[in-house]
Amino acid sequence: MNRQAGYSFYAATAIFVAAVMFPFVWIFLASVKAPAYLYGRYAFDVVVPEYTLDNYVSVFANHPFGRYLLNSFAVGLLTMTVTLGIASFASYAIARLHFPGKTLFLGVLLAISMFPQIATISPLFLFMQSAGLRNTYAGLVIPYTTYALPLAIWYMTTFFRNIPYELEEAAKMDGASALVVFYKVLVPLVSPGLFTTAIIVFVDAWHEFLFSLTINTKESMMTVPVGIAMFQGEFTFPWGEISAAAVTVTVPIIVLVLLFQRRIISGLTSGAVKE
Amino acid sequence: MRFGNRTLARTWTAYAMILPAVLMIAAVAIWPLIRTFWISLYDLRLNDPERNQLNMSYSVNVEKYAESTALLLSLLKKEAAAAQGDRQSELSALADRLSRVNEELKEDAAFKKRLDDVNELLDNFQPVPAELQQIRLDRNKAVRMRQQLSDIKQSVQSLKDGGALSRPDDAIGLTNSVLQSFSVPNYVGFGHYQKLLSEPRLWDALKNTALFTAISVALEMLAGLLIALLINRTFRGRGLVRAAVLIPWATPTAVSAMIWHFLYDGQNGIVAKLLMEIGLVSDMSALLSTRTGALASVILADVWKTAPFVALLLLAGLQTIPSALYEAAQVDGASRFKQFFHITLPLLKPTLLVALLFRTLDAFRVFDLIYVLTGGGPANSTESITIYAYKTMFAELNFGAGSALSVIVFVCVLLISMAYVKLLGGETLSRRIR
Repeated sequence: MNRQAGYSFYAATAIFVAAVMFPFVWIFLASVKAPAYLYGRYAFDVVVPEYTLDNYVSVFANHPFGRYLLNSFAVGLLTMTVTLGIASFASYAIARLHFPGKTLFLGVLLAISMFPQIATISPLFLFMQSAGLRNTYAGLVIPYTTYALPLAIWYMTTFFRNIPYELEEAAKMDGASALVVFYKVLVPLVSPGLFTTAIIVFVDAWHEFLFSLTINTKESMMTVPVGIAMFQGEFTFPWGEISAAAVTVTVPIIVLVLLFQRRIISGLTSGAVKE
Repeated sequence: MRFGNRTLARTWTAYAMILPAVLMIAAVAIWPLIRTFWISLYDLRLNDPERNQLNMSYSVNVEKYAESTALLLSLLKKEAAAAQGDRQSELSALADRLSRVNEELKEDAAFKKRLDDVNELLDNFQPVPAELQQIRLDRNKAVRMRQQLSDIKQSVQSLKDGGALSRPDDAIGLTNSVLQSFSVPNYVGFGHYQKLLSEPRLWDALKNTALFTAISVALEMLAGLLIALLINRTFRGRGLVRAAVLIPWATPTAVSAMIWHFLYDGQNGIVAKLLMEIGLVSDMSALLSTRTGALASVILADVWKTAPFVALLLLAGLQTIPSALYEAAQVDGASRFKQFFHITLPLLKPTLLVALLFRTLDAFRVFDLIYVLTGGGPANSTESITIYAYKTMFAELNFGAGSALSVIVFVCVLLISMAYVKLLGGETLSRRIR
């Protein structure tokens, strides 16, 4: 459809973008207002007598927020690496090889992606406890990888399918085995797809809350979402610091999204639309 | 012939390639699911030493029993030696009684042998291997022995209260250890389910979850469709709009819940103030402190986060509809309205249904948003079923009942997916996975 965009269209779009962005703008404002102006007469004003960066300093100086960020990055990167390793093999097999039980395997993957994770938390918690894996990166990477696998395999199968058969056939004619074809021909060709999958897996791991909340309870091993949730005291909310922390975790995400939006969108929508 | 071997080899290659994924999913998703059901049949409580294991029958932790019995016996004898008169005879009677319990337990040949083995290890300061720790006891005997030991505990307690002991706290502590070395069977069958299903809290949590799911998914689909229709065209600044759509998706739910918490705050929340000024809430603090207000807050925050994502999925669906169809319709003089109902909706239906399925399942499992925004409050009025299960397990440390709740969540999700699969038809879904 190539309808022309009129004024009413731009107005509606502007309202939509403003509604989406408003919470971020407002929280950014709260993070730079001097604490005295968060409440009372100036609470709803954009222009206040004093702005400050103290909240950002305080988030890192008075809370282990740097540690939370490090943990989230470590867990996200590890999950991403392990997931891509396992999923690239599996998705190649699905896309290119015929084997009995393929439909069953795909059905199980679909079922796991719909799975309520709370239904596995009690035995996993007890296992992590007895294996000494609580408050370690492995304690989170193991469940994260498992629940990322269905989506990762799904996306990557689509990418493998889009590579023309002729390239593989040529390699096979030269006597290359399935593994060599996989490594030397397919993986390099599919690397844009690998990259898209990697971003989505990383973002999912970065978001995860339930396992992180229950398995890594030690402050030095918490991830960002749980760490931010723990900023609130029993009755008090240090809104200045919370805002600064929220802005700090949101900015890298916005950069990531701006850089890779096309890839992310093609990945996210690949399962929902038939080709 | 050669061709056949080749095919076989490729099949094995395929199995080898999917093996890591299969193992991982079997070990970390499927096995724990079965185990959750298994745990839900037991009264497992992590904060109660008698019930922190899954016990089908009565048993004794031999190491704990051997150590604490020996210590208690010698303590009682020492106390008896130091005491006078009635107290002395009372204390030596208690010591005798404990020895008799010990002797009676040792009448069981297997128990005696195990106790001797464990004692030998302990005497040599060697660790007791896990497989020697626990030994089963005959039910009648275990009940009798436990009764005896509780009686002994009562006597020790009254001696302590009478000030007759020189090390009263040790005596009580050791008596407790001896008692706790006995494991009571905590298999309850479907007991948790019966209890949960008969209590209003589960039904309230299910009602809250269903209400949240129905309203927020309906609003998200509607808003998502409107946004998708709006931006399904070429215009300047398209990249900017697409990035704006992705940002709520890319923000962790816990973080966006925190941000909304600030906007809803009773003192300085701008959304709370806005809603008060247009008269939707009586005063700002009512938003998070009343049931309707809190539920509406949670729904609004969820719609904000996921409607743009739904729009993205639907936009991808809209773009697969050939524009020739609209051109033909225009030539035939069909109105925009007619085009929407006769071209857009029918062709978008598969995408709509897939988005609906995934959104419904996500909304039904809602956890982070409610945990951070309301904690299930006020007074459990926004408690979702997942929050209820979490609190039962990790606040009350009642893993048995918590697991039963988790199984209930699983069954609900299963029913919802089955309903959708029926609605979608197997065809759409299998095309998705093939």
